[in-house]
Amino acid sequence: MFDLVHLAVNSLAIANVYGLANITIGYFDMVLAYLVAIIVSIIVALILRVPLMPADRYSFDVSAIYPTPIIAIGILSLFLVLNYTFAFNGLLLAVIIGICSGLFVKYLFNYVFPSPAEGEDIDE
Amino acid sequence: MNEIIGLILATIICWLNFVIVDTYFGLPEQPGVKGARIIGESVKKRKGDIAGGFFQGNILCSPDASAGTLMASIGYLVLGIPGGIIAAFLVFIGNRLCADPGYAGTTGSLTATLLIFIFSFIGLTPKMFIVGMVIAILTIQGIDQVRASIILGKIAEKFNRHAKE
Repeated sequence: MFDLVHLAVNSLAIANVYGLANITIGYFDMVLAYLVAIIVSIIVALILRVPLMPADRYSFDVSAIYPTPIIAIGILSLFLVLNYTFAFNGLLLAVIIGICSGLFVKYLFNYVFPSPAEGEDIDE
Repeated sequence: MNEIIGLILATIICWLNFVIVDTYFGLPEQPGVKGARIIGESVKKRKGDIAGGFFQGNILCSPDASAGTLMASIGYLVLGIPGGIIAAFLVFIGNRLCADPGYAGTTGSLTATLLIFIFSFIGLTPKMFIVGMVIAILTIQGIDQVRASIILGKIAEKFNRHAKE
C-alpha cells in the first residue's frame, strides 16, 4: 500500500524533469559546456569593463582573457567530475558559472588575491 | 607501449613543454621574488648563466609550468581531462599566493593536459608523464645546476628573453 521504492524512484524521476538529478553527460556536451563557460565569462567580464588583454607579461591586473576563463572552466570541471550537471546537459550550469566568475574577477578578485605590489618582499 | 621507451618519450615531451612555456613567459628575464635573485646570483658566481639562474630560481620559488605540468599529469591520472583543468585552476591560486602573476603556470598545465591527451593515442599513460616530469625537473635543478643554467641561457637567447642586466 505504501511503496517506498516506487516513491523514491518516482520522486527522483520528477526531480530529473527539472534537471536536478546527477546525470552523466557525454563528451560532446562537456566540450560544449566548456566553450559556453569560456565565452560567457569573457563576455560578462567585457560588459563589466574589465580590459580584454593583460598589459604585459608581468602584469598583476585582471583581464577578460587571462584569469576569467581559467576560473570558469576550473570550477566547471569540479562540477563535471562530481557529475553535478544542471538542466540542458550542463549548459545552464556553464552559463551560471561564467556569469559568477566574471562578477568575481571584477569585484572580489583583488580582495581575495591582493597584488603584491604593496608588500616589501617583492624584488622588482 | 614499452614502459622504458614511454618514459623517455614522456621526459622529452615534458622537458620541452615546460622549458618552452616558461621561457616564452619570461622566467629568465627577471627574478619575480628575492629568493630567485639570490639563486640566480649564486649560479652566476659559480660561472653559470644569470638568465638560467633566474629561471631556476623562479621555478623553485613559485609554481610555474614545471609544477603545472606535474600537477596536470596527476590530475589527468585521477580525473581525466577535467582533472588537468582543475590542476590549472589550483596552480593559478598557488601562483597568486606566491606573488607571481601565473601566466606560465596555468598555460603550462593547460598545454600539458592537451599533450597528455594527444599522446594517449599512441600509448603514453599519465603515469609516465608524472615520472617523466620528475626526471625533467631533476635534469634542470638536480644533476648539474651550472651546466643546466648555461643551456637554459642559450634557449632564452633564442627566444629573445635573456636577462637584461
